[in-house]
Amino acid sequence: MAGRGKLIAVIGDEDTVTGFLLGGIGELNKNRHPNFLVVEKDTTINEIEDTFRSLGSLPGSVVEANPNQRDPPLWDEIDSRQFLNRDDIGIILINQYIAEMVRHALDAHQQSIPAVLEIPSKEHPYDAAKDSILRRARGMFTAEDLR
Amino acid sequence: MGTPLDGGSRVPIGCPAKLRRVTRKKVAPDLKGWLSLAKARYAMGAKSVGPLQYASHMEPQVCLHASEAQEGLQKFKVVRAGVHAPEEVGPREAGLRRRKGPTKTPEPESSEAPQDPLNWFGILVPHSLRQAQASFRDGLQLAADIASLQNRIDWGRSQLRGLQEKLKQLEPGAA
Repeated sequence: MAGRGKLIAVIGDEDTVTGFLLGGIGELNKNRHPNFLVVEKDTTINEIEDTFRSLGSLPGSVVEANPNQRDPPLWDEIDSRQFLNRDDIGIILINQYIAEMVRHALDAHQQSIPAVLEIPSKEHPYDAAKDSILRRARGMFTAEDLR
Repeated sequence: MGTPLDGGSRVPIGCPAKLRRVTRKKVAPDLKGWLSLAKARYAMGAKSVGPLQYASHMEPQVCLHASEAQEGLQKFKVVRAGVHAPEEVGPREAGLRRRKGPTKTPEPESSEAPQDPLNWFGILVPHSLRQAQASFRDGLQLAADIASLQNRIDWGRSQLRGLQEKLKQLEPGAA
């Protein structure tokens, strides 16, 4: 694993995830922890957030309330599901319309790795104005620099 | 492409514009990929190309190599599994590399090549599914390029903030 490099994770609709898995990024390891999440109509925002966010960004009262009473297997499962918490993921691809649902989690992610890329979906074209990275960069340069 | 704010570092001014151009480019291969997936689904059946066909065990065929170009600046490259970077390839022993013959110490990770995901969908798959795979593979390299650009922007921002802080300290009224 040390020489293998990092993984590319994907959070998207069925077509996006199927396409990128066809491209060969999929991993479903022996612990049944995938590096992808298919977002369907009944997928909740909490599920998307849980998969995306690191446990450390949750409010302290939730994480540390009863550290001795947590269920270790469940805790490990949550940790491993969360892409930001995994050190083997280098890029997270996420459909932009899904990113909008968890925008606060994306804006809170300041680290360079894993890089979070917002990508268009079949039904929702890409809008540069909504991209977190470009919004941050916009405040950095003048309008003339961006032409 | 950048403004030298001190002797060594340059703030990548053109990066956001380049990022927007590259990001617009990534729409095209994705559209072709989705269209090809739709064609494959039409040929094979509505439920024949989707999560129901995903394998229960998956090994990635492609992975990401991150190299550090400058301090804190990461560059990403998509590499197919089992392919080593040029600097890693080389004769392990003096003299010519052997092209044939049994390996002395078989490495566990190279003993089984990752399965082609096309196999999840059957033995004979329509050409449109192969086209979809090719389109999404192109998209992966583009994703690595975009991630490298994003990383460069973040690096530039942190450099700019550091230099702005230094500038504030040097201003006459700051003391």
